[in-house]
Amino acid sequence: MRNALAIAQREIASYFASPIAYVLIGFFALLFGYFYSAILAFFLRQSLQVGQFGFGGPTTINVNQDLIRPLMINATVILLFVLPMVTMRSYSEEKRSGTIELLLTSPLSDLQIIMGKFLGAMALYSIMLAITLVHIGMLFMYGEPEWLPVATGYLGLLLLGGCFVSVGLLISSMTKNQVVSGMATFAVFLMLWVINWMADTAGPVTQAVLNYLSITEHFDDFSRGVLDTKHIVYYLSFIAFGLFLTAKSVDSERWRG
Amino acid sequence: MIEVSHLTKSYGSVTAVDDISFRVEPGEILGFLGPNGAGKTTTMRVLTGYMPATEGRAVVAGFDVFEQPIEAKRRIGYLPETPPLYPEMTVHEYLSFVARIKGVPGGEREQRVNSSMERTRIDDMAGRHCGKLSKGYRQRVGLAQAILHNPEVLILDEPTAGLDPKQIIETRELVKELAGDHTIILSTHILPEVSQTCQRVVIINRGRVVAEDTPDNLTARLRGAETVLLEIDTNGADPAPALSAVDGVTRVTATPGATGLSKTEVETVQGRDLRRDLARAVVTNGWGLLELRSMRMSLEEIFLHLTTEETDEDEGGADLVTATSSAPEAPDA
Repeated sequence: MRNALAIAQREIASYFASPIAYVLIGFFALLFGYFYSAILAFFLRQSLQVGQFGFGGPTTINVNQDLIRPLMINATVILLFVLPMVTMRSYSEEKRSGTIELLLTSPLSDLQIIMGKFLGAMALYSIMLAITLVHIGMLFMYGEPEWLPVATGYLGLLLLGGCFVSVGLLISSMTKNQVVSGMATFAVFLMLWVINWMADTAGPVTQAVLNYLSITEHFDDFSRGVLDTKHIVYYLSFIAFGLFLTAKSVDSERWRG
Repeated sequence: MIEVSHLTKSYGSVTAVDDISFRVEPGEILGFLGPNGAGKTTTMRVLTGYMPATEGRAVVAGFDVFEQPIEAKRRIGYLPETPPLYPEMTVHEYLSFVARIKGVPGGEREQRVNSSMERTRIDDMAGRHCGKLSKGYRQRVGLAQAILHNPEVLILDEPTAGLDPKQIIETRELVKELAGDHTIILSTHILPEVSQTCQRVVIINRGRVVAEDTPDNLTARLRGAETVLLEIDTNGADPAPALSAVDGVTRVTATPGATGLSKTEVETVQGRDLRRDLARAVVTNGWGLLELRSMRMSLEEIFLHLTTEETDEDEGGADLVTATSSAPEAPDA
């Protein structure tokens, strides 16, 4: 674990030593802020309507259901673009510059290296998420949202991000080229995103399978404040599987040279 | 300290290292010599646990690198061909990071980092970013990284590549200095380096060991196979057939010069001085003998002999002289 932390720390330092971390955090904050303002404006108009007429608009509205939830679902869209850029260099850069030789000839297990890289990427992602607490915090200042659905929402975002990071690491471990790594990761994310679009027109079994595979489908309950072990197990096993495949990919690279 | 037996490494259908065996005794410096692509780097990568071998065993400091990789890696310091530096880290940050992943205990880290920077003379660069260092300094930071955790075994892949002459001398001195309490394998394609720093040389070519001995012995073994240099006025005729006919000559290379002169290199078998016979051959043919000079084979030539493709037999250097003399008609390399 100490070794994994050493690697994670180096990863974080390396993100912040280059403009990458700042650009990504800035990009994420900008988009999240825009979504926040847009949804907030819509929410205000709706609540005004409810207040004035009591009908014509939705009958009841609350901050959790009609503001925070859509905001979090939209935030997952930003992840689709941002996380490939977080993970694309993790292995690719080490392979290109030869520093992978240092890691693989040091007394470290593959698992420690992978965990280090995973934790490093997750730390950067957590910093991005932490910025959004400012927006949510303002809602708590001026309104009275329930905190539990907010907490489960953030847990969901972390788990969902973890899945993306594990896929990103896997793809990064397969190529020396950062651009290829980033593009392939983005393509896979997008595929995981839309995999259940076919569900409506498919047969009942295929529909169930596609819905289960869909990475976003599982997020829905988190955003609603429902903590279901089924979804937690899905995300955790997804992450574990991604990291396991990364380990296999790194190992096979050794054999092939 | 290091024992390699029947090591083979193939990449798909290409065999990079083919049944290599050798030993390195504690405190020894072994020179690993071979042309580019001979399999030096591959062998070193297998020894350091970077990649597994296809067949064979490698034991470093008593630990099998395939069975107990973590234990073996703890005892190895490795400088790859390109120093594995993170450009965005300063030299000091980088070495501290390496100390952590090499398992240097927290209390000793700072002291180990400082002492290895002193030994490699990079302490004045401690605050500089690795990406901004010159080639020579990068190489030295790589070396500092390798000796950082005070490993029993040092594996250095071309440690002097890209250094200026002064740095090369300093690095060689450093390597010699380290030899006492470290066992060192050093690869290079620069020959004087081997005779100056190494106690023993393994010459490999196309994945096989072609010779293994001390630099002095290697030179001595081939000293007998002397080269005689002749400058003859043949009036334009080719001196090769006449000289090849002399008993004991293994190879004749004639380079026609201006106005009927011919510069000719003649290689002879071990232990016989053929200068008289060659002079006689020149005179009986009615040519003018302008110069006749005996040349010793340098390590450089031995290396060329052993590693140039001139024989189909792959006898693994069992008898160096037969290997070369069996192909007198081979083109000069």
